[in-house]
Amino acid sequence: MKRIKILIFLFSIFNFSNAQNYYLYVASESDDTVSLLKFDGKNIEEKERITVGSYPTEIEGPHGITVDPNGKYWYVSLAHGNPYGKLIKYSTETNKVVDETTLGLFPASMQISKITGFLYCVNFNLHGNMKPSTVSVVDAETMTEITQITTGSMPHGSRISSDGLKQYSVAMMSGELYEIDALSLKILRKLDLEDHSKMNHNNMKMDKMKHSIVKPTWVIPHPNQNVLYVAGNGSDEIIEIDIDKWAISKRIKTEKGPYNVEISPDGKYMVATLKSVAKTAVWEIKSGDLIKTFDNSNSVPHGVAISSDSKYAFISVEGVGGQPGIVDVIDLENQILVDKVEIGKQAGGIAFWKKDI
Amino acid sequence: MKFLLSQSLILSLLFLKIGFAQNKTIVSDLENLTLNIGQLFKPVSTVVLSDGTTGDCKRIIYYNKKGVFSSAKSITFDRSEGTLKANEPGTHEIVAVCIDSQGKRLSKTFYVNVNYPKVKEIKVSINEKNVYEGNYIKLIYEITDELNNKRIVDYWNYENASKYFSKVDVSLKSSNEKVKIDESNNILALEEGNSTIVVLFDGVSASIDLKIKKNPVAKLNLESDVFNARSGDVINFKAIAYGKNNNKLENLPIEFSFTGKSFDKSNSASGLILEDGRFVGDVPGKYIISARIGNISSSKIVNIFPRNVKREISNVGRGVVNDRHTSDFWIFEGIDGGDYGVTGTWGADGTAFFWDVSDPSNLKKIDSIQVDARTVNDVKVSQDGKICVISREGASNRKNGMIIIDVSNPRDVKIISEYTKNLTGGVHNVFIDNNHIYALSNGERYYIINVDDPAKPYEVGMFELKKEGQSIHDVWIEDGIAYSSNWRDGVYLVDVGNGIAGGSPSNPVSFGNYSYDSGANHATFPFKSKSTGKFYTILGDEIFPNGVNPNGTNETAGFLHFVDFSDLNNPVEVARYELPGHGSHNYWIKDDILYVAMYSGGLRVVDISGDLLGDLYKQDREIGYLLTGSPNGYIPNDTMVWGAQLYKGHVFYSDFNTGLGAAKVSSNKPDNSKTNQYIN
Repeated sequence: MKRIKILIFLFSIFNFSNAQNYYLYVASESDDTVSLLKFDGKNIEEKERITVGSYPTEIEGPHGITVDPNGKYWYVSLAHGNPYGKLIKYSTETNKVVDETTLGLFPASMQISKITGFLYCVNFNLHGNMKPSTVSVVDAETMTEITQITTGSMPHGSRISSDGLKQYSVAMMSGELYEIDALSLKILRKLDLEDHSKMNHNNMKMDKMKHSIVKPTWVIPHPNQNVLYVAGNGSDEIIEIDIDKWAISKRIKTEKGPYNVEISPDGKYMVATLKSVAKTAVWEIKSGDLIKTFDNSNSVPHGVAISSDSKYAFISVEGVGGQPGIVDVIDLENQILVDKVEIGKQAGGIAFWKKDI
Repeated sequence: MKFLLSQSLILSLLFLKIGFAQNKTIVSDLENLTLNIGQLFKPVSTVVLSDGTTGDCKRIIYYNKKGVFSSAKSITFDRSEGTLKANEPGTHEIVAVCIDSQGKRLSKTFYVNVNYPKVKEIKVSINEKNVYEGNYIKLIYEITDELNNKRIVDYWNYENASKYFSKVDVSLKSSNEKVKIDESNNILALEEGNSTIVVLFDGVSASIDLKIKKNPVAKLNLESDVFNARSGDVINFKAIAYGKNNNKLENLPIEFSFTGKSFDKSNSASGLILEDGRFVGDVPGKYIISARIGNISSSKIVNIFPRNVKREISNVGRGVVNDRHTSDFWIFEGIDGGDYGVTGTWGADGTAFFWDVSDPSNLKKIDSIQVDARTVNDVKVSQDGKICVISREGASNRKNGMIIIDVSNPRDVKIISEYTKNLTGGVHNVFIDNNHIYALSNGERYYIINVDDPAKPYEVGMFELKKEGQSIHDVWIEDGIAYSSNWRDGVYLVDVGNGIAGGSPSNPVSFGNYSYDSGANHATFPFKSKSTGKFYTILGDEIFPNGVNPNGTNETAGFLHFVDFSDLNNPVEVARYELPGHGSHNYWIKDDILYVAMYSGGLRVVDISGDLLGDLYKQDREIGYLLTGSPNGYIPNDTMVWGAQLYKGHVFYSDFNTGLGAAKVSSNKPDNSKTNQYIN
């Protein structure tokens, strides 16, 4: 009986003082730092700023960041190298380097499949001439780049389907969506995202790489429906794709410059940064309604990470020049901007790590 | 009660899990697999549980643990066919990853051996026309394997040779006792006569007939008109051989060597002597130089005295920038005849500062410009002092590129134009020469942009190596030749208007190249020696052996490589300037004096007059140095010199943590009166 009482007491404490803490990592591309942030439901703070890269006098540009499905390691891509960029693996326990491997030109966004354990990172290659680039596939366990899969020009927004079996990315300059089989490491399907009803093809030289009007910058699969959402950064729209039909099912008009898009894990909200107008928009997916558009704390909002309980969206904001990067926190249930924190310059890649008590 | 029940349930589940958990592993025919080069193999792998039954494996993926880059072409995969191909000899790690139907992965590494191709043919030769008793015979091996790959292993390349020799059975035998072969396969000619050397490589043999001649030399004279020299002075020794009739003998394989003793008892004599008799002493002392052929030798003694070039170097003025890092700089004469400077900033807000440096003791910040960037890494000004170009990295729109600025009035600089075409990946370094800007693009290539009208810059040319993984860090133009520093590919000399190879800015033509093992070529400066007329390129490394320390001193490494480019087709690395514990960055040369920013080692001034050979630092050629850290620096007291430029008698420098500075090399020797003042 005494034991039961103790248990009841502990349970009560657990339930009545269960202040949730949320942790996330954010890369600051022009400071060569990654910040570990903690949000307690009211306030967000920088717990640690980790210097990344190996050249003190060169900007190596941490761009993409992700945490593995087990939460044991985080991975950051360094965009600039000699000339290839790198992927660095860190322990979440110590925030120290565990291993690294070389990727392609300007490795950017990435995610790990819970099935294969492989990390799929797009090589954005924004340098000069537009030409097809690649998706690097890395075995995150051995940190070996297994293969590079050639896709379109300036691939970005690497995201994995919730079953871990497909990888999606968009090619910004060639306006295409790619679906890769996470197991066979082959391209399964490609979709032209352009609205050809609005395009003038008269002056187009077909032998050259096409230049996209849509300029897609991000793709995110819905966690439990067979649809994808693509940010049309050039055409100011979010494009909904029916995965089964492999066709565009809806074009949702937005303000200027949608850049990154995420869906809350419960599938309820879609959150997109509107880079050109320094705003972040939130939609309710079921109704398709735009719920609210938030002014970000500074210009050039970049990435979105949503807490595992779907309560909060964290928005990285780059700023300009010497301004610090910022992370804004949006309470998705109450649709309010809760707090912000300043971090290193050009805050970009952002990844949710964990929620704990 | 409920608690007890739940406890029992948990324990039961645990028991079940433990009870049924089985170890499993991947079993594959990759295990102990040996392939020949070019062979295809389709691996078959299964998951086997500890009870011997076959486990679940929905998909198996194989990969080479070396990755996908050129070093990893040893074994490649055709994932459509499920095959692998052996391309290079050696033992390779192949990883098999199995994904089961529950989405759980299991992996195992297998070691696959690929046989070295068999040796098909051996050729043995020697360079010397004649072999004389008492001398070592320098064999050269040309080995051709069954895939027609050729390897040349020469006498002086034994480090590489030993790696190869360890992989194959090698034996050397002689037909008689006229030669002696030691355990390292060195061959000493013992006596006059004929001998055949039989070389056996993995069962394939070759032979060379040697005709060992009696040593024709009766007397050897070692000549040089130098008896006393300074450390670092190169002395040319000539060995003249005479026969029995006192006749002069030519083209003999004479071997040079030296011994020595330092004047300083706690130091070691050191130096370098080449096969042609050039000798340099690093440390003051007495050196015995010897020439030898067979058992005939001759020696000569030289005294090496201190070089005695030390001069006082003092800091004259500072233009402190301590709220951000400073990057590169340029000092120039304005169109009004005044002296001005421009400095970039690093990891900050895209600002470049302009300075009046007419009075080096009073460096005055006179204007600044801010562009959309985080780093303005490089700044350059045209020869006429009218336009400045600054590079951009970290622009908010990621277009980066460069900004052209009107500096005809350095007190009121104005942006003329922005240029981003093909430069979106970030511009790290730029150069202006004869109305053309040379701008690096993403560290891969450089574009040449015409700025006849700086308001309307346009691309006229581009230079790249056209190699996978090509990489470039800097480009410097002098006399119509662009010297690009391409990390592992070394320096490329490109005609962009000189005429030596028919090149122009719109048609850059490469005509010379030199690379070295470390692969860290970060900067290059051409140097025509005033004292000798020799032409060198000086190639600088940039190495941070321990990565980044954001709050304190960063450890730096690497050195300057002096490459004699007098023969464009046969560049020879002859000397180095290496400061122990500190690495090189940017530098400047004028009148045979090197002004080099050695990052944490400060600003160093080095005498590079005369012939250059060996280790210039050891030779005490350093004139002096200045540590540029400051208590009120961005990182206090942390010296991190970025670059140096000699301008109208002053050595200007930029420091990562303190900004712009000016120093003066005095004609006075350093004041050593306080040195070791507590020692009698």
